[in-house]
Amino acid sequence: MSSHAAATAPAPSEPTGRAANRAAVRARKQAVAAARQRILGPVSTALAGASLLQAVASLAAVAPFVLVVETARELLADEPDQGRVWALALWALALLGVRGIASAVALVWSHLTDAEHQFRLRELLARKLTRVPLGWFGEQSSGTVKKALQDDVQTLHYLIAHARLDQVAAITVPLASLGYLLWVDWRLALVLLLPIAGYLLAYARLMADHGEQVIGGYTAWEQRVNASVVEFVDGIQVVRTFGEAGRAHRRFQEAVDGFSTFFAAWAGPMTRLESAVNVLLNPAFLLLAVLAAGVGMVGLGWVEPIVLLPFVFVGLGLGATILTLGYAAQASRQAADAAIRMTALLDAEELPVVPHPEPGIASDPAVAFDRVGFAYRAGRPVLEDVSFALRPGTITALVGPSGSGKSTLAKLLPRFHDVTAGSVRVQGTDVRRLDPAALYRAVGFVFQDVRLIRGSIRENIALGRPEASDAEIEAAARAAQLHERILELPAGYAAEVGVDVRLSGGEAQRLSIARALLADPPILVLDEATAFADPESEAAIQDAIARLVAGRTVLVIAHRLHTIVDVDEILVLDAGRLVERGTHAELHAADGLYRRLWDANEAAMTVLAGEEDVR
Amino acid sequence: MIRKLIALVPPTDRRLLPRYLVSILLHCLGQAVAFLTLAPILGAVLRGDAAGAWPWIGVLAIAVALAGVTYYLQSMIGFRIGLDMMQHLQTRLGDHVTTLPLGWFTPATTGPLARTITGNVKDVMGVFAHLVMPVATGVLVPVLVAVGMLAVDWRVSLAMVVSAPLLWLVSRWANRLYGRADRAADAAAAEANNRVVEFAQTQTVLRAFGALDRGDVALAGALRAQRRANRRLVWATVPGTLVFALAVEAAFVVLVYVVLSLAFGGSLDAAAAIALFAIASRFVEPLTHAADMTNAVRGATNSAERITALLAEPSLPEPETDVAPGAPALRFDGVRFGYRPEQAVIEDVALEVPAGTTTALVGPSGSGKTTLLRLAARFFDVDAGRVLISGRDVRDYRAETLLAQVSVVFQDVYLFEGTILDNIRLGRPNASDAAVRAAAAVARVDEIVDRLPDGWDTQVGEGGTALSGGERQRVSIARAILKDAPIVLLDEATSALDPRNEAAIVRALRELTHGRTVVVVAHRLSTIRDADQIAFLEGGRVVELGDHERLLAAGGRYAAFWAEREHAVGWRLDAVAAGGPRR
Repeated sequence: MSSHAAATAPAPSEPTGRAANRAAVRARKQAVAAARQRILGPVSTALAGASLLQAVASLAAVAPFVLVVETARELLADEPDQGRVWALALWALALLGVRGIASAVALVWSHLTDAEHQFRLRELLARKLTRVPLGWFGEQSSGTVKKALQDDVQTLHYLIAHARLDQVAAITVPLASLGYLLWVDWRLALVLLLPIAGYLLAYARLMADHGEQVIGGYTAWEQRVNASVVEFVDGIQVVRTFGEAGRAHRRFQEAVDGFSTFFAAWAGPMTRLESAVNVLLNPAFLLLAVLAAGVGMVGLGWVEPIVLLPFVFVGLGLGATILTLGYAAQASRQAADAAIRMTALLDAEELPVVPHPEPGIASDPAVAFDRVGFAYRAGRPVLEDVSFALRPGTITALVGPSGSGKSTLAKLLPRFHDVTAGSVRVQGTDVRRLDPAALYRAVGFVFQDVRLIRGSIRENIALGRPEASDAEIEAAARAAQLHERILELPAGYAAEVGVDVRLSGGEAQRLSIARALLADPPILVLDEATAFADPESEAAIQDAIARLVAGRTVLVIAHRLHTIVDVDEILVLDAGRLVERGTHAELHAADGLYRRLWDANEAAMTVLAGEEDVR
Repeated sequence: MIRKLIALVPPTDRRLLPRYLVSILLHCLGQAVAFLTLAPILGAVLRGDAAGAWPWIGVLAIAVALAGVTYYLQSMIGFRIGLDMMQHLQTRLGDHVTTLPLGWFTPATTGPLARTITGNVKDVMGVFAHLVMPVATGVLVPVLVAVGMLAVDWRVSLAMVVSAPLLWLVSRWANRLYGRADRAADAAAAEANNRVVEFAQTQTVLRAFGALDRGDVALAGALRAQRRANRRLVWATVPGTLVFALAVEAAFVVLVYVVLSLAFGGSLDAAAAIALFAIASRFVEPLTHAADMTNAVRGATNSAERITALLAEPSLPEPETDVAPGAPALRFDGVRFGYRPEQAVIEDVALEVPAGTTTALVGPSGSGKTTLLRLAARFFDVDAGRVLISGRDVRDYRAETLLAQVSVVFQDVYLFEGTILDNIRLGRPNASDAAVRAAAAVARVDEIVDRLPDGWDTQVGEGGTALSGGERQRVSIARAILKDAPIVLLDEATSALDPRNEAAIVRALRELTHGRTVVVVAHRLSTIRDADQIAFLEGGRVVELGDHERLLAAGGRYAAFWAEREHAVGWRLDAVAAGGPRR
């Protein structure tokens, strides 16, 4: 695992490794810059405004102390002017008020900007989801999608709403303070600068040694622990019955131990150094430096006693503001990672939609695959040179050994993916040139994994035709053998799926069939396994499927050859190629791959049937 | 809260706590003394007596040294505690979760688990590493300064003593306002999360039925609600922030007023007054920082609570002493059980499975078949009655003894990341390679391996996604064969398989169950027919019991079920047959 290597292996020391490393760092920096520009670009103006306000607030935070120094100067005069003292004090308070208001407005501004930006980003990402190929969702878990839309967007919150303003403050306050102090007395200012410079130097070293790469290692370990938690929870039944009693899964324990070893090795030395260096910025330490040097200078007659005051009032606060720089830098790094992930999602390849789709020719309901090739990855074709046509109103079955590409082939028709060679035509038009809505009106599918949407049973059935009448919905449910089950529910068709009723696998399957019946597409892609999805209601599902296929052009992915002996045409796939075609009788007689599959099935069936003899 | 946190510190580290707290106290003391020396030092210097300041600078130096050394100490101890906590808590959480009843594992509880084990633990370990110190400094230093001021001027001290708790209260009030809005924003985010996942998962069907806009509406509504909650959160922070800033200013005004009036009244000389200003300016800053920390403190508190709550989830009780298993038989004795107390899933089930025989559980979905299997494996404890394995109540065994008695083959097969061999070896971790391969061969896993690109070393991927359902099942059967326990609990897969896979599985299962005591939730007709005994379940009760022939002859529920299933097996997809209903 790469994170492990990062954790244990020292940084490459030979020059070539260093050069390659530097190139990689540069490449990453460019990617980060581009991603940030793209994701954060829209808020840059608003953030600049808020930053300006924050700068004003920062100046207004320093200025009162200058006024307090002036008050002190007046107090020390032989004849203090009481009126001036009160006036100065009031001005100082007024400035503090300005500071409070300006920073509050800046914060509200940045937060509102963030809320709006989060919303826009989420919308943008959600809309993107509607344009990627359906096959994309099989490769990405829904967890990935959630991470991008929610967690990553949330990660940007600290950067947009806080970190930028903190950075502005962390730069403005020390600069203004130092300018003032240098103006008052440059020698004493240098004394104050020494520990600060020492801190910054040490911090830079710290970051160089324990910087980005190692932080990457931290994230990687954290993800590894997360993944092992998910894994061991999902597999809890196995852990429980095969694992050691009362002990977590071994892989989880390894991840936890590894994480902790990594963390000790990484954060241990860093904490040691950091704790030592942080003392330099402690106000008490700065106070000692300023007073020891200042009293010495006063004793030598180099400076007036009053000169100490600006350093006491303004100088000591420098430490705290500089510390926030570190936090902001970390937030910025995390946000960069998030921005890169979001950019990757936004850049995911989309299913191309032609600007002026052809409406399709309703009079020709046939489907044609013309020299179709497809590969998930270049150079590893899953389908090659497959040509066939579905005649209107017939059932065509796809068979072949597992891995032969039959499911992939069937999924090209509803455009889960686009072909990489050749074309798929529906009603005479290439599916890529069809309006997606027209395509899905023409092609329906019933696969094993049924997805129900949140809503009532009625809404679920009428998904494709929200305007359907109650009678039509009921008819579809009746044909799908679901009507009576629905009537058993107190809320009937209005029952909320997942709230009022939990449908069994077979019931959900029948609901998806009812859905397809109501949508009534002329062409249907069907997985034969659906018919055996739920042994409890096999017969009901089978009846529903029989209703569904009637009168349509059907392409069926077949696993059990016995189910499809009566279909109009059987296509035999082997390693992505169409090797045989014909009716069952023809193929059985031809003595090719189909015959071998059939015989293997027969043999297996004999085993299944003959089990009792062995007992 | 503090007690909860301390309970989360590993026992070996608890002896470090006094040292840790003393370091922090001394650090605060050092800082407070350092600030207080401002009065004599500035007083002396401004009066023109630079030499008189030096002894006090000595005191300051000592105070700074004390603060520096104790800062380093507490930081290292805090790091040590945090680090130990991380490993200790993660291990403890992981171990504890495995002892929970299986009923605990629902999406609602397991979803946040990864966050608890990494995120919340991180928050809690950060308490000792980063949080106690700034909060203690923020509260204690001003208090100590105020107390120390008594020695300088009691009136100014009083002004400070009064304002400190006031500021504290205001910041707490502001945080409470924020907390309420924050919870609302959290809830909105959770809802939006669900909608996002749903939107992604239902893409296929939304697109296929041209209903994208419908899914859009639900998602967009949730996203808008989230934006609304976020905006409300922003506005909720405004009054708190403003009032706190105002309170700080008011405190300042009071101090300035007191000091200046005293100075002008002549009871305080100018140098002392200025020194007091200087101290006062150091007085508010730590308080503000402490108030800034409240968010982190609340986060850590929530995290500690979540961890404590998880650790407090009751495990399945385990006896102190073990009992020895007898002959491998199985008996349900007046068993009642419900996942929710008011809703019994199993009602008064009595069932005897003699050693070496097979009992098939058959019945409509939701009749309690799988639940019975789970009770036998003690994933749950019964509400009434007992489950006996090898002659003893399952609750009388220590977990490892019970586990050694049973192998379980589940319906939804889960494979861990790693190779196929790794996954089979789970059945007996100390098994030799030869034994693992032998088990694999029996379950025909070697046939699967032949077609995989990297052979035996192929990574099967999280959840076993690289293998088909039937193949995964064969691996899980090999696992059980390797384990070689006398009792087999088997939940047959319902999903359809091609006959080849099915034949391989049937053969493998025959090896696995041969000569063993078997309870099987059966879907395969051959499995049902060949069982020594069939228990037909309905509504959580055994309504018919006997062998295939007898039950068939009885013409009851089982006979009807059998007829329908047999009919379904011969089903053919046929456009002509689709003309009308068959029944």
